Amino acid sequence: MTSAWALGQRALREASRTPEALLPTLFIPIFFLVVNTGQAGKIFPAASTSFLKGQGYGAFQLPTSLLLAASFGTAALFLVEDIEGGYFDKLRATPIPRTAIVLGRLIAELAKGLVIATALVLLALPFGISVASGPLGFVLLITLTALWSVVFVGFMQLIALKTRSAATNSGGLIFFPLLFLTPNFVPRDLLTRPMEVAATLNPVTYLMEALRSLILEDLVWSRILPGFAIVAALGAVMIVLNVRLIRQYD
Amino acid sequence: MGATLAVHAEGLVKHYRSRAGVVEAVRGVDLMVEGGEVFGFLGPNGAGKSTTVRMLTTLLSITSGTARVAGVEVTHEPDAARRRIGVALQEAGLDPRQTGRELLVLQGRLFGLSTRDTSARAEELLELVELEEAADRQIKGYSGGMKRRLDLASALVHEPDVLFLDEPTTGLDPASRLTVWDELRRINRRGTTVFLTTQYLEEADQLCDRLAVIDGAAGSSGKGRPHSSRPSSASARERRATQRSTTCSSTRPDAAAAASPATSRRCRRDIRVGAGTARAP
Repeated sequence: MTSAWALGQRALREASRTPEALLPTLFIPIFFLVVNTGQAGKIFPAASTSFLKGQGYGAFQLPTSLLLAASFGTAALFLVEDIEGGYFDKLRATPIPRTAIVLGRLIAELAKGLVIATALVLLALPFGISVASGPLGFVLLITLTALWSVVFVGFMQLIALKTRSAATNSGGLIFFPLLFLTPNFVPRDLLTRPMEVAATLNPVTYLMEALRSLILEDLVWSRILPGFAIVAALGAVMIVLNVRLIRQYD
Repeated sequence: MGATLAVHAEGLVKHYRSRAGVVEAVRGVDLMVEGGEVFGFLGPNGAGKSTTVRMLTTLLSITSGTARVAGVEVTHEPDAARRRIGVALQEAGLDPRQTGRELLVLQGRLFGLSTRDTSARAEELLELVELEEAADRQIKGYSGGMKRRLDLASALVHEPDVLFLDEPTTGLDPASRLTVWDELRRINRRGTTVFLTTQYLEEADQLCDRLAVIDGAAGSSGKGRPHSSRPSSASARERRATQRSTTCSSTRPDAAAAASPATSRRCRRDIRVGAGTARAP
């Protein structure tokens, strides 16, 4: 873990020196929050829309923006830079566990994810959005978002290790539709049948519903825990695949 | 015998799988490098020099054959081998967003040095490669020569027994090349064995105690594709020389003499030539 932590610190330094790479991570989710709320806010007034639980439509949209922010991790692109520039080989020539090279970037991604999710929620508060599940709910909301950013970036790292090129960027688009095959505008039971089926099969749905539950209602563990379970399961798969790929890297 | 050698490779072979089938990148390289010497590994582009270095430094798996570096079997004990070797590959493998000092300190930590030791070692190395003034600047602002010197320094953080350098002066201007040569002589004087690949006979002449030639043309009748491009006039001269050296093989200085009279004066003796094969990917 010492090596992974040292590499994590290096990745955080890298992030702090490339603020231009972080700006879209905040700007684009806020943009979508404003636009989506502006377009559909009148259709779903707080007073007469039961699934909003008394809050405005912005509160319903916030999980979409959080998941969007979590999907902007730059770790995989920096990894491609390391591979193309030769620094990745420099690291492989050191006597550290191969897994530390992968975990270092994921540790940094977790830290970045926590900061970005906190910033987004804090930016949303002045617009009347509140976290109904209280301080514990706030912590769970931020943690779940940050953990998802780690899982997402981990899968992007897989593409980076496999392609070893800038194709990683377009490879990430494979995951993007998963964010939108979810009940991101209305609850699942209000979707058309085909969309409802797609959303039910999509693991990101349970993550979104967990985040939404933390924002709109008190702690309802039956909706929160599936979100954490999805992150744990996909996270385990992601770690196993990353470790396997980096050990076989030739 | 192997235990006393800095590098001892026998029958090194590397095959790659590609869409076109199996590509033979290196075929049967034998090497014996003694401790404390500067050993030159010459050959034209695509001959298999870099592939051989990458196998010796644990960065590539070995298809068949054996390799011991500083007495350690690289396939079976890769981490032990990594502790004993330093590597500077063709591309100066540096993180452009770190400062020179940060890069060396991180490298020290990854080799298990304590925080205090790694800071002191970074300072010492920055002085060795004359980068003290640029130490706290981000590497992206360094010149090519500075990057190459920093790369050398980072390969030395853990005081390796054997330093592998893959074409360390390719792409450098003449002045930077001379500076790198001076660094290498200094490093070698401190007792580090240097294994150096190069395309330049002059470089081998200036630096190497002994050399081997890997002949890309030797395998052209074997499996795989032939060279896909014609060499420049300079490398054509080298290739003619290496072809002759392959013909001579064994332990006489004919090959070096054929390549450059100066080379034969400087080299103590030629060594047996590895039959690597060149395969353009």
